[in-house]
Amino acid sequence: MKFVDEFRDAELGRAVSMEILSLVEPGRHYKLMEVCGGHTHSIYKYGIDDLLPANVELVHGPGCPVCVIPMGRVDDGIAVAHHPGVIFTCFGDMMRVPGSDGSLLDAKAAGADIRMVYSPLDALRIAKQNPDREVVFFAIGFETTAPSTALTLKRARMEHVGNFSVMCSHVTIVPPLKALLESPDLRLDGFIGPGHVSTVVGARPFEFIPADYGKPVVIAGFEPLDILQAIEMILRQLAGGRCEVENQYKRVVPWEGNLRALEVMADVFELRPHFEWRGLGFISHSGLKLSERYADLDAEVRFSVPGVRVADPKACQCGEVLKGVIKPWECKVFGTACTPERPIGTCMVSSEGACAAYYNFGRFAREREVV
Amino acid sequence: MQVVRVDEVRGLALCAHEDGSRETVETALVDPVAPGDTLLVHAGTALAHLEHAA
Repeated sequence: MKFVDEFRDAELGRAVSMEILSLVEPGRHYKLMEVCGGHTHSIYKYGIDDLLPANVELVHGPGCPVCVIPMGRVDDGIAVAHHPGVIFTCFGDMMRVPGSDGSLLDAKAAGADIRMVYSPLDALRIAKQNPDREVVFFAIGFETTAPSTALTLKRARMEHVGNFSVMCSHVTIVPPLKALLESPDLRLDGFIGPGHVSTVVGARPFEFIPADYGKPVVIAGFEPLDILQAIEMILRQLAGGRCEVENQYKRVVPWEGNLRALEVMADVFELRPHFEWRGLGFISHSGLKLSERYADLDAEVRFSVPGVRVADPKACQCGEVLKGVIKPWECKVFGTACTPERPIGTCMVSSEGACAAYYNFGRFAREREVV
Repeated sequence: MQVVRVDEVRGLALCAHEDGSRETVETALVDPVAPGDTLLVHAGTALAHLEHAA
């Protein structure tokens, strides 16, 4: 298949892996963070870490959209879903994220009208089909998903769909990266940049990482050869004493991003002063809300939302996993009390979560075969 | 996803996954699309033309 087969070539994969081996200094430990949950999933699906030298460690970042939603936000969603006459819509993964008293799926089982959708456009369609009901879309995701929500809001306005609103929990990628780079817990050598977020925002927003922190960034695609090549490019920068933003995913990511998407987002959204992230706490200017122009379509204006802050369960160490401080198998409940079937923490819910990736692809412990 | 049919007036395209399943996709954020084009689609919105990559 075009754009896929050529990036899964085993022969080439082995060649890049040998190239990586030639670039690492013996005795030096390299910690590279893949920011995006999609990369985490690909790395374990294809066993990419098994192709790396033992001193190249991949650390998993905060780029899984479902994983970063705090429990209080789930509780807020459930409260809106229980309003009489409301049809509450969200992506499938989001339905299984535990709140303080169950998930949206539990609330659905208890009688709330909660429906899974594949896109905000599906939610708008439900609103048009049910003019006597209020349809709320629970919008989550980074800059990859936010344009879709923005376009749907514009369409709702254009088509005069008055019974549609959005509970906006979109987040942006740069503030948590800054928070991680400022964290004393973590020493990183470089970043595998998020491919699909960069399709929208471009490469420019990541220039602060080499400029201010002296770390290389390589924006990468999601096929095995994309990720291997990105690792090779980071190691080549480190070996040559360089640090800059490079774009491995040129077939999709323009340097300037998608200007139309950025324009639509700027019209529909504005930054919240602060937003709570699961495990990372409140981060300034890291979340989006609807702009004044679209306030009438804001579910948080239309319905009363409790907005209560809820602490994560004590047993759950999603925060440390999201910051890359511990590996999933180091969490006390990983694979025992917390599994994809019955998740306690968000990282076990989504296929992009590091815990789910480790669990689904059999990474239960530290041991790994070294090439 | 591959474009099957285009509704230029509404800014939408019917697109097919590899498994044959179909989905209506917003096309406002990419250059004009035509049947047969391959698009990168996220949450029902086309974000990039794969053939038009930089």
